[in-house]
Amino acid sequence: MPNTRTSPESYQLALQQLTDSALPTGAFAHSLGFETYIERGLVRDEASFGVWLAAFISQQLTYSDALAIRFLYEGVPVAELDALLTAQLLPRQVREASIKMGTRLLEIGAEIFPSPGLAEYQELVTSGRAAGHQPLAFAVIARSLAVPPGEALTAYLFATVTSLTQNAVRAIPLGQNAGQRLLRKAADDVAAAAERAGHLTPDDFGAVSPGLEISQMRHERQRARMFMS
Amino acid sequence: MSALRLSPGDLTAEAGRPDFGAAAWRAPRGAHRREGPDSSLRELGAAGDGHGPKSGEAAGTNQSVREPMGELELVVEDRGGRSVTTHQFHRGALRVLRPHYLDASGQVCYVLVNPGGAYLGADLYVIDVEVADGAKLLLATQSATKIYRTPGSFAEQRMRLRLGEGARVELAPDQVIAYREASYRQNTHVTVRPSSSLIMAEIITPGWSPDGASFRYEELRLRTEIRVESGGAGAGAGGLLALDNVLIRPPLGDVTGLAFMEGFSHLGSLIVVDPRVDQALADELHEITAGFGAHTGISLTAAVLGTAGLVLRSLSNSTEELQRVAGAATALLRKRWYGQDPLDLRKY
Repeated sequence: MPNTRTSPESYQLALQQLTDSALPTGAFAHSLGFETYIERGLVRDEASFGVWLAAFISQQLTYSDALAIRFLYEGVPVAELDALLTAQLLPRQVREASIKMGTRLLEIGAEIFPSPGLAEYQELVTSGRAAGHQPLAFAVIARSLAVPPGEALTAYLFATVTSLTQNAVRAIPLGQNAGQRLLRKAADDVAAAAERAGHLTPDDFGAVSPGLEISQMRHERQRARMFMS
Repeated sequence: MSALRLSPGDLTAEAGRPDFGAAAWRAPRGAHRREGPDSSLRELGAAGDGHGPKSGEAAGTNQSVREPMGELELVVEDRGGRSVTTHQFHRGALRVLRPHYLDASGQVCYVLVNPGGAYLGADLYVIDVEVADGAKLLLATQSATKIYRTPGSFAEQRMRLRLGEGARVELAPDQVIAYREASYRQNTHVTVRPSSSLIMAEIITPGWSPDGASFRYEELRLRTEIRVESGGAGAGAGGLLALDNVLIRPPLGDVTGLAFMEGFSHLGSLIVVDPRVDQALADELHEITAGFGAHTGISLTAAVLGTAGLVLRSLSNSTEELQRVAGAATALLRKRWYGQDPLDLRKY
């Protein structure tokens, strides 16, 4: 059994591996709703994708993912948060995306960063008592590696933003430099989201904007699409 | 507070970690649980959670232990195919008109009346409805719920709705209208059994403001939690089916644009929970609603104990358009599942 007790210096590399867009969770297959805006002609270039991305960060990532990660770190049982996420992610494709990527992340985590917390979450998933959501799988692993909550949060958010931006670069399409400019700008939004998530209450959990939800729902019936969500 | 009745289990406070809205029903009714172990999460004021005290006097005191402005309790039971009320209690500014039967289905229809005509700051309305095994209820309102200015405070409605096996509830309220400087919270806790059938509609709209702008209210927060419980004493199975949390806070940023309200001002939601809900039904409802001008999405929840839900969300600039969308979807369900005609709620 590998030694998973890591020193504060060594979690850095672990965190980099976990947030690398090459981590095979399948994030390349999900637009989490922006493909609907492409189809409607509302997201079509660097600027318009930037507007969508900023809204996605301040809504979905703040009220759902970031809060789930924060509450896990604060000691809310993973099973409870898992059930909340399943119930709150009303658009089916987004819920299934979170579970698909979360399950993959749990598998990868078990290979490279096994821990009692991860084993417990996996056992809940295997026995059908939890679905296995991406932000929770990430938070369980990050916590086991002693990544501080703030760092775990921003790393997770930025990794999600990076995947989405890479997907937008392919789908819209945008130039590679445009993608990098978008990411640089999104870094400020990610920092703001992490800060804001720290001030929200349990009642705020899952308060995602209606427009995002509707677009994510409409994606189910979009004819031509390159993404699963 | 002495008039408030506690239900078993209401006080199972869970210490040391955040609660998720269920607190409203764990605490004695009429009491806000603003204090407690998670208070550090809640103390952050407007910049953080947006609903903390805006001035020193407001939320901390009069909101935390206020008497409900209006209370309503209803228990509906089945009596040989006809649904009747076996318990009814109201107090203050909430009451119901005498029950109607709109058709031969046995479904009883109650119309909720707010004699005051509007919700004001610090008003708390508490509604507790139980529909027993096999009973059928249609709950409507006499007029729109108007939220006026609520300076330094908020108006609130808490509703608890419990459905028995085979029980059926349609909630068809008029729209919520939030006027300038209005803050409103609506907390709805629904518990169904696997064989229950629920249709709940909701429309929220901005009220007229002197400058003609749509989003002059402070905050609209409508949180609905739907749980499925299996029958039997002490049955622990089941769980959360849907958590629908709508939060619109115009002062905190632009809510009008892309990925928020998408240029629309009105929001409609229709939630259906029924063991007959499946993807084919969602697709069919999508086809129907696609014929309307509203910007609409529809999706299935995960299944819990053999039942499932679907959520239909629509954006529009018109209350009537949203009513038509929800009406068309509801009409299909009423016809197919119960052989009933479309709902025709002329005001009584």
